[in-house]
Amino acid sequence: MNRRVFLKTAGVAAAAVGASRLLPAWAQAATVPTVEEVQDIEHLNTGLKEVLGVDFGKLEPSDKVTINAPEIAESGANVPLEIVADLAPADVKAVHCFVDKNPFPHIFSMSFGPKAAQSYFATRIRIGETAPVRVVVETQDGRYLLASHVTRVTVGGCG
Amino acid sequence: MALILIRFSPSKPKQGDPVKVSVVVRHPMEPGTRKDENGQIIPANYINELEVTLNGERVALVNPGRGVSANPLFAFMVTAEPGEVKVRYTDTAGESGEKSKALKVAG
Repeated sequence: MNRRVFLKTAGVAAAAVGASRLLPAWAQAATVPTVEEVQDIEHLNTGLKEVLGVDFGKLEPSDKVTINAPEIAESGANVPLEIVADLAPADVKAVHCFVDKNPFPHIFSMSFGPKAAQSYFATRIRIGETAPVRVVVETQDGRYLLASHVTRVTVGGCG
Repeated sequence: MALILIRFSPSKPKQGDPVKVSVVVRHPMEPGTRKDENGQIIPANYINELEVTLNGERVALVNPGRGVSANPLFAFMVTAEPGEVKVRYTDTAGESGEKSKALKVAG
């Protein structure tokens, strides 16, 4: 390690200590972390296996599923969530929602009936701490289409 | 019985147009993880089934878990036709409720 690298590293470390609680990098900046930075696949898998009987590896990331939710939520107790799937409601067997780091990762499951005009569903959910929201659209032909969206929460919604 | 609100947007759509049906139920949706002022766990009690129908046919069936917010909102899209939207729910304490609202179309 040369002097320049050392000083840079020490400076960053000092800044981190200065930020008092040694938070991860994303938590110090006013940015939304990436899915990879805040995911917890192991905990998510407990919910996936219980509800769907499959683990994360069986889910296919798909641009047919859209999640509309805030990037930053003041309170995790009441986070609006809107789901649109680019599929006919008749082709959707069920829609499932999970949050990686909630004590109970499974948030809800729902299905459409013959009177649904679009594969659209909106609700409000609790997010315990900053984590990815996962929406899994289970198709009639047995696929699991996945969309992920990180919502950064300042105050958790599960306590 | 809990209060159920049903709202249509737009409130008076044209026949055949898309209408958003929003449902709000006044319910604590206790997740079973919160404590009261004496440190006792408040037992879980949340709506675990909610069905919405239009003229007797299903729009959607929702099975919420503990992670759905208190006084939950659920919204769906239907195609406007005159008739009745009906909401029915049950919670984990065995309570249930239902509410209907007439859907009127313009023209």
